[in-house]
Amino acid sequence: MSDFVYFFTFQDASIAFVVIGIILLGIGSAYVGTYSFLDKKALLGDAISHAVLPGICLGFMLAGEKNPIYIVSGAFLSGALATFLTSWLKSNTRLSDDAIIASILSIFFGFGIVFLTVIQKSGNPEMAGLNQFIFGNAIAILEEDLYIYGGLAILIIITLSVFRKEFSMLVFNADFGKSIGYPMGAIRLVFNVLMILAVVIGIQAIGVVLMAALLIAPGAAARFWTDNLGKLLLIAGAFSAISGIIGTYVSFVIPQMPTGPWVVVFLSIFAFVSFLFAPKKGVLSRFVARKHYLKKTHQDHLLKSIFHGLEGGKKTFAIEEIYEAFPYKKKDTRHTITNLISDNLITVDQGLITFTPKGKSEAKRIVRLHRLWELYLNEYMNIAPDHVHDSAEKLEHILTPELEALLENRLNYPKLDPHQETIPRDTDEL
Amino acid sequence: MITHVESPILEIHDLTVSYDQSPVLWNVDLSLPAGKLIGILGPNGAGKSTLIKAIMGLVPITGGYIKIFDRGLNDVRSRISYVPQRESVDWNFPASVLDVVMMGTYGKLGLFRRPGKKEKKIALDCLEKVGMQSFTDRQISELSGGQQQRVFIARALAQEADLYLMDEPFAGVDMATETAIFQLLQEMTASGKTVIVVHHDIHSAMNYFDWIIMLNLHLVASGPKADVVTEELLRKTYGGKLNLLTKVTDIIRQKDFNPLKN
Repeated sequence: MSDFVYFFTFQDASIAFVVIGIILLGIGSAYVGTYSFLDKKALLGDAISHAVLPGICLGFMLAGEKNPIYIVSGAFLSGALATFLTSWLKSNTRLSDDAIIASILSIFFGFGIVFLTVIQKSGNPEMAGLNQFIFGNAIAILEEDLYIYGGLAILIIITLSVFRKEFSMLVFNADFGKSIGYPMGAIRLVFNVLMILAVVIGIQAIGVVLMAALLIAPGAAARFWTDNLGKLLLIAGAFSAISGIIGTYVSFVIPQMPTGPWVVVFLSIFAFVSFLFAPKKGVLSRFVARKHYLKKTHQDHLLKSIFHGLEGGKKTFAIEEIYEAFPYKKKDTRHTITNLISDNLITVDQGLITFTPKGKSEAKRIVRLHRLWELYLNEYMNIAPDHVHDSAEKLEHILTPELEALLENRLNYPKLDPHQETIPRDTDEL
Repeated sequence: MITHVESPILEIHDLTVSYDQSPVLWNVDLSLPAGKLIGILGPNGAGKSTLIKAIMGLVPITGGYIKIFDRGLNDVRSRISYVPQRESVDWNFPASVLDVVMMGTYGKLGLFRRPGKKEKKIALDCLEKVGMQSFTDRQISELSGGQQQRVFIARALAQEADLYLMDEPFAGVDMATETAIFQLLQEMTASGKTVIVVHHDIHSAMNYFDWIIMLNLHLVASGPKADVVTEELLRKTYGGKLNLLTKVTDIIRQKDFNPLKN
């Protein structure tokens, strides 16, 4: 608990620094990552993040110590080489995209590990920190390194904000951008540079292996919540920053605990929660919507069967007949009848059902849609009268008033359906 | 049957285009008059879209040149509007109808600057012209095929150009929308604009276009509708690919070397 208070009150200036750094890094990589996620280039981020390892090692070898300038430059150059090779191979060979990405990723990472082993054998006393680049350790970042990483993150965020309309054009419709004279090649280049930079600044805090998650997961999780690009970027940035802070806290509390895996764990929780509970697109709300639809369907069918009874000349309709009509759904049926009463569509008196005026009109509407659709299938789609019922039984619940008007118009306000039954209008007597 | 015109709005001189190693357009040579509704017809894979993309500089040219308003493309970009195929973009992109139509104003706006009130007004006016004003804030993922097409046309209108190049604007569009869009295009040409449309349905093409270009890897015909719509030319266009030409293309592809490219 005291650790928690100590960490989050930022009494320690170095902790405050690290937290600010991780927030900037999180927002920057979430911004870039969201665009590349929308551009369906998520795997490229993974390739780049693995491909920076040999550059880090070479930078270390050249400098002989963990000099941030050497390491950042090395990482950037090898990331750039990987990106360039990816697009060169794509235009000059017949290899498929996934084969190219997989080869680049594994070859570069393989070289990186070889270099890392060479450094470890060399006995350089500075090498101890180098393993952190694999899984990341935010707490171990030095203050002067933070200035570089933070500065680059701010550069990424500003560039993406200033050129938002250009980058949106790149992702949505690059050909159109080219047709109005925008330098789409240069914009793509800037975007790739930003992507590599985002990876480079994340390697020490998150590590090369997991950096791709920080690029892609925030955007993918945020996509469940909104259809607006501005909000999407904000939510992605927030998910990323919060996961970053929690991950850093864990590696602060538990010594030797890498930051990257924990950040990814919390990002995954955000993604999973979004997947389950987001309104409209989440699994739960889709399940609820489906339940609701099925309930409405059953309600429509009940109203229809009462209508059919009255249409057949019955004066009253006993509640028992309804239960008999739907023998396997007794519980649902009881529930639906209660709903129909509370919606003021029917009244029940001593086991006999009567329509309210509202209920009568609703029942007519459903029967009308059913019969109009049957007639349409028969007349326009040439489907035999004995084959039209099932389709109408399913579609009567979703036909909108606009479609109803269109059907009436196309069929010229017909009186009878293909089974010679009357199509009921609101003004007709039952 | 290729009719050339004096002071053309668009002149294509001996144009050859190849994708990788396969030539897809052979020595197309034509000139087009201003203020006409022009249809590009031809079977699948005839190079119709490629011709439009070549005019817009979106695919590299293997040989020949193109002049628009008697100038190079880069001098006259602001006077040309391009409508890509509807399927060429991802409609799940998080954007509203208004966002997409506003893109039409980006050309005049240039880099860096963000669209403001003036651009929004242009976009809203153009949405009204295509009858989509009630969809302004709708997500583009929720649109039907015909509505997507109308959004693209509204975006093109927002460019306020003189020459319009549209790639299959009637693909996946219902009859009523097709008629409405054609009416709009006819109004545009009546006010002096030139509209070139890649189209797949010969039947409706006969009703609407003033001038017709027929393509089948090579140029079969280009001229006023009355002159080019003959049984012979239609057979040349739609009666299958030239057998020998296909064989030559195959040889070029197998050699993995395109002698037509310099």
